[in-house]
Amino acid sequence: MIYLSEIIGSRVWDAWGNNLGKCSDVLISRSDAVFPPVSAIAVNSKDGSTFHVAANQISSLFPSIALKVAGTDLKPYTLGGNELLLKRQVLDHQIVDIEGKRVVRVNDIQLAYSQNIYVVTGVDVGNLGLARRLGFEKPVLAFSKLINRPVVQSVITWQDVAYLEEKNPLRLKKSKEKISKLPPADIALILSDLNRSAGQSLMENMDIEVLADTLEESPTKTQIDVLTHLDSHQAADILEEMEPDEAADLLADMPRETSHELLQLMEEDEAQEIRTLLHYPPDSAGGIMTTDYGWINDGLTVSQAIEFLRSSEEAQDVEEMYYIYVLDKEEHLRGVIYLRDLVMAKPDQLVETLMESKPAFVLPHTSQDEVAYLIAKYNLLSIPVVDETTSKMLGIVTLDDALDTVLPTAYKKRLPRFF
Amino acid sequence: MKKSTPRVSLIKRLWLVLAVLGPGLITASADNDAPGIATYSMAGSRYGYNFLWLLVLVTFGEVFIQEMAARLGAVTGKGTADLIREKFGVKITLFAMICLLVANLGTTIAEFAGIAAGAELLGLSRYIVVPIASIAIAFLVIGGSYKNVEKFLLILCLSAIAYVISAFILKPDWGAVLRAAVTPQFILQPEYIIAVLATIGTTITPWGIFYMQASVVDKGVDAENYGLTKVDVIFGAVWGNIISAFIIITTGATLFLHGIHVEEAEQAAMALAPLAGDWAKLLFAAGLVGASILAAMVLPLSTVYAITEAFGWERGLDQKRSDAPIFYGLLLAVIFLSSLFVLIPGLPLFKIMLLSQSMNAILLPVLMVLVLILANDGEIMGVWKNKRYQNVFSIFLTITICAITIALFALQFKK
Repeated sequence: MIYLSEIIGSRVWDAWGNNLGKCSDVLISRSDAVFPPVSAIAVNSKDGSTFHVAANQISSLFPSIALKVAGTDLKPYTLGGNELLLKRQVLDHQIVDIEGKRVVRVNDIQLAYSQNIYVVTGVDVGNLGLARRLGFEKPVLAFSKLINRPVVQSVITWQDVAYLEEKNPLRLKKSKEKISKLPPADIALILSDLNRSAGQSLMENMDIEVLADTLEESPTKTQIDVLTHLDSHQAADILEEMEPDEAADLLADMPRETSHELLQLMEEDEAQEIRTLLHYPPDSAGGIMTTDYGWINDGLTVSQAIEFLRSSEEAQDVEEMYYIYVLDKEEHLRGVIYLRDLVMAKPDQLVETLMESKPAFVLPHTSQDEVAYLIAKYNLLSIPVVDETTSKMLGIVTLDDALDTVLPTAYKKRLPRFF
Repeated sequence: MKKSTPRVSLIKRLWLVLAVLGPGLITASADNDAPGIATYSMAGSRYGYNFLWLLVLVTFGEVFIQEMAARLGAVTGKGTADLIREKFGVKITLFAMICLLVANLGTTIAEFAGIAAGAELLGLSRYIVVPIASIAIAFLVIGGSYKNVEKFLLILCLSAIAYVISAFILKPDWGAVLRAAVTPQFILQPEYIIAVLATIGTTITPWGIFYMQASVVDKGVDAENYGLTKVDVIFGAVWGNIISAFIIITTGATLFLHGIHVEEAEQAAMALAPLAGDWAKLLFAAGLVGASILAAMVLPLSTVYAITEAFGWERGLDQKRSDAPIFYGLLLAVIFLSSLFVLIPGLPLFKIMLLSQSMNAILLPVLMVLVLILANDGEIMGVWKNKRYQNVFSIFLTITICAITIALFALQFKK
């Protein structure tokens, strides 16, 4: 294996053995390749100027840099504009390790020689890389042999590297695509570890849905940070995409004027839902409930019920639909049926004969602890919230939202990055 | 929020000001932590108003350096250690981090010395108070619950205002005070030079640079709304140094006049006697202990954050202990090694505080040069890079500190 740290600073010799200067950087142009080939090196000549040598004129990079031609015969390499400078732009910077789902710092870059070309294979993010940069690699390796504990190499293959401090929009897009595929909770953690400029470039133009999911998993501080740095219309779009209870929690923590402005920019029915939720204290059933849930009218057969859900626009928005609530015309809760039972039953059976007709429910002012207790007691995935006076069904509290109080918040929500 | 309406209500503006004000004020209050109070008291009791001119100079220095750090944070959104690593590579980063660690370890020792001095003033043994304090601090920091006590400690720090009131009660010769503030004087004598360095090092601190930049980043301040932060930085530095000046004035008008040289907390507390009478000891001890505990919580954390950030090690109080062994190991090491050091029998507490702050000043140029290079980098800072006058003053200050350091070592060798 060849490392960038061993190439940078070494002398460049031409075909006649003349010293042309020192290598100051290594350039790759097809950075989206699995193993991007080196396209040129930058050389600091003795008179202080910098010039580039194309890869096809280089005969070797390691152990010493030798060119195929004489210094006088060098064809000038013109920068194509999409080169990535490994030392200047990647080395020592933060990257996202897609496989490990974390933010790491590049200690060194690994290259290999294969089929007559030099290619980048991965980045070294381990302490051995640090030791190599300091010139301590050999002593460290010797010591580890002495105590019989091999040093763990931590090299991330180039494909799993997402680099965010990019001026090049194409490469940035590629990095974002890689990160967007991760689970939202992991994106949220990555976001909180990145420095602000990298974090912002990750979020800019990110798919609204992914961003909304990521924010739901982020601590309030990050949520507010992100929303305040976005354009208000975009912020409103994201709030619409978030679960109403999460959006309401977030708006409750923002300055009144801002939240008011955002609510006005949102679609009317979504905004109305959130306004209702904002009325309840944040640690009550009303404060943590969501108004998106699966429901059907009473008096339907099983096949009618499934058809009703399929064609219901409201049901399309529901993320988790393990229970279907049966409501009458006045929106009173009549019963609940497992989606499983609905699917397994005969099509012409009446839902009423299958449903549980006296489900447990809570009032909007029931405390969050009590809600968690009831959900645990009855082994539920969610519990309906019913209005005290009108007996109308208002929403449901899902298991994960109820558990927020029981689980130490530190595990669920991360502390701010700094104090 | 990119506001479409330019009109911002008064309340919102006030809220913004309050939200942004903070890092500057905290770093400024930390100027008057235990080593700060000790340094100023010793300087004032020994040399009268002589140090006031230096304080004026140092105030400018603090404004320039802290402003640079805050601007770096606002423009780049990155911490100081982060920028140093990206710009200078591993070797220089290692050197800078060793300087930072040594300086901050010294200051943390000084903070625990402050706790010990405060305790002994109240008749409590340092061998009981310091171990208890260090364990409590470790718990509060690692549990992340120190925010709850922060406010209380900041209130204790307000006791430094007692110096301002004392000064007005004492009615010193204000003409002499003003003259001293504008006439530079210098005595070529090791003790004097150590006191000069300590005064510089306790006001412009290496950790202050890192802390300032980190909190600006953490608050989400960007180049657009940097103006308010700048106000905070300047206000904080000036405010902190006004208090410092009053410590020198009060000690100068009391202890210096009576020929009392501050060697330990006992004498330093006497400066507050005209105001507080028999309560002077309690008042002094409260300020000393409050500021020390506050700094002993913030300092190790800020040090370890910077180091782990520079080398890309897992960090943060939200990490599990097994996931971030270096972060937690280093954090506990800084806290416990510092507190153990203070327990060495017969250790002169005030002298240790003074020496630690001199060491701060000696190490400061290393970090100042790095920060200066960063703040002048057009690629990093764009239009926000340093103006000429900022460079001229900062370079002048750096060279001055180096020159004073060399003078100190030259004098030592001459002996």
